[in-house]
Amino acid sequence: MVEWIAFVQVAVVTVLAALVIVGLYGLGVRLQAVAEDEDRNRTLHRVGSWACFVVSGIVVLFGIVLIVPHLSELVGL
Amino acid sequence: MDPLLLVVIVIVLALFFDFTNGFHDTANAMATPVATGAIKPKTAVALAAALNLVGAFLSTEVAKTVSKGIINEGEGPGSVAITPSIILAGLMGAVIWNLITWLKGLPSSSSHALFGGLIGAAIVGAGFGAVNYGTLVDKVLLPALAAPLIAGFAAFLATKLAYWITKRPSGTASPRRGGFRVGQIFSSSLVALAHGTNDAQKTMGIITLVLISAGHQSAGSGPELWVVAACAVAIALGTYTGGWRIMRTMGKGLTDVKPAQGFAAEVSTASAILASSHLGFALSTTQVASGSVIGSGLGRKGAGVRWRTAGRIATGWLFTLPAAAIVGAVAAALTHLGLVGMIILVVVGLASILGIFIYSQKDAVGHHNAMSDVDNSGAAVHIPTKKERRSVARKARNAAQRAEMEAKRARRAADEAAKHAKELAAAELRETRRKLDEEAAARRRAAKADEAAPDAEATDDLDAADAPTSAAPAVEQKEN
Repeated sequence: MVEWIAFVQVAVVTVLAALVIVGLYGLGVRLQAVAEDEDRNRTLHRVGSWACFVVSGIVVLFGIVLIVPHLSELVGL
Repeated sequence: MDPLLLVVIVIVLALFFDFTNGFHDTANAMATPVATGAIKPKTAVALAAALNLVGAFLSTEVAKTVSKGIINEGEGPGSVAITPSIILAGLMGAVIWNLITWLKGLPSSSSHALFGGLIGAAIVGAGFGAVNYGTLVDKVLLPALAAPLIAGFAAFLATKLAYWITKRPSGTASPRRGGFRVGQIFSSSLVALAHGTNDAQKTMGIITLVLISAGHQSAGSGPELWVVAACAVAIALGTYTGGWRIMRTMGKGLTDVKPAQGFAAEVSTASAILASSHLGFALSTTQVASGSVIGSGLGRKGAGVRWRTAGRIATGWLFTLPAAAIVGAVAAALTHLGLVGMIILVVVGLASILGIFIYSQKDAVGHHNAMSDVDNSGAAVHIPTKKERRSVARKARNAAQRAEMEAKRARRAADEAAKHAKELAAAELRETRRKLDEEAAARRRAAKADEAAPDAEATDDLDAADAPTSAAPAVEQKEN
């Protein structure tokens, strides 16, 4: 039996996860550049870019939790 | 043959398979960061090795069946018991195929090689009925098609997104896409860790299965600590050795990788591996990683995909299972010959491993030359710090000033030269004019003298001939 549902699930989750992480990180990179512009609020953009980096880092941490069974049990996945 | 000796041989070969698995798959995690210069080659393999080592200890959910149901294990017609000798034959097929693909620089799935070897050995043991072809399609062929498609599509979109989101109108501070390089360190580490938790398990499972079947371990128990440790060390050593030939193919052969693109590819790889291992549609790490690299190449403007290389890789995938199966079948046939066959198998196996290694040394590929222009390209996209940029600007300003001064001096010199030349020319002109005037005057005087002489010509021809000569001193006198 071909597991079509699993196939579609994997495809959708892969694409979404990749887009979310790359999008967040890319936004962080962009905000860092925007912060260098003259007429912008430098602090606000810096904080924004770091927030993006931190959130994408949390997503990566979630990945590590998924990889390690003990951690998965710990957070109740 | 002494069963204990057989068990020892299988364990050694299994650990060697683990080793080849490690160096075959270093490229999955580390080819793109090395290609973009995010991590130095030696650091990259060390990092991947450490993460594989850690990963092997983190998860010990050992597969209960090595073949995942592809082979009819257990009892009944057309079924075959997975004995140590079948595992030995299967491992031999997998190891030799792994080494051949490494020699050719082809990323190919180590699990497929293992399945192939086991299938070949099982067919020799119990005929073609021993293989569950439906499961083979479900677990091997379909995922092999799906993995590059899923990962490639994700990487394509992610690369597009990465470039779109960091695009800014010209004239504003351009985003430093090099920032993605830092991200690459994390994304590739995640892939390496996932690899360690997945692939070391396979070998642990094999060794545990052999120990159980030989009665050295009670059925249903997990892997012994020494097995876990040995597998972890073997895969880490293999990773550290680094399959640089495959790294070259993945990092440079398929497409030229830039940081944003590499980051997108690695994130897609990691997502696909994690999603597949948690949602039950097992995908090969190698095939996922290759698909991601191709997808990211399609997603970045100006990055072409070398389809010839991609075609070679796909051909390698196609051949992995049957080729390993043939080696496995031959090996299994030899084990049926008893002790002699077993000795032949081990000797021939060792000889071919050694032979491939020696052949590979003819043009060795290592961290120093796997991507020789990596350093250059890294320098080309080197993003200077503020200090560096300032000093560069200062230097440029100084150079500009110097050039301007130089130009001024040159202009002055040129002006002077022109003036001088003009004076010279004028003097010469005056001189020439004067000479011409003199000549003209001389001619006029000569003509006058001629006019004064006609009567002399009438009286005496000889005198007429003398007249100009007599006139000449007179002219000279006048001039003086």
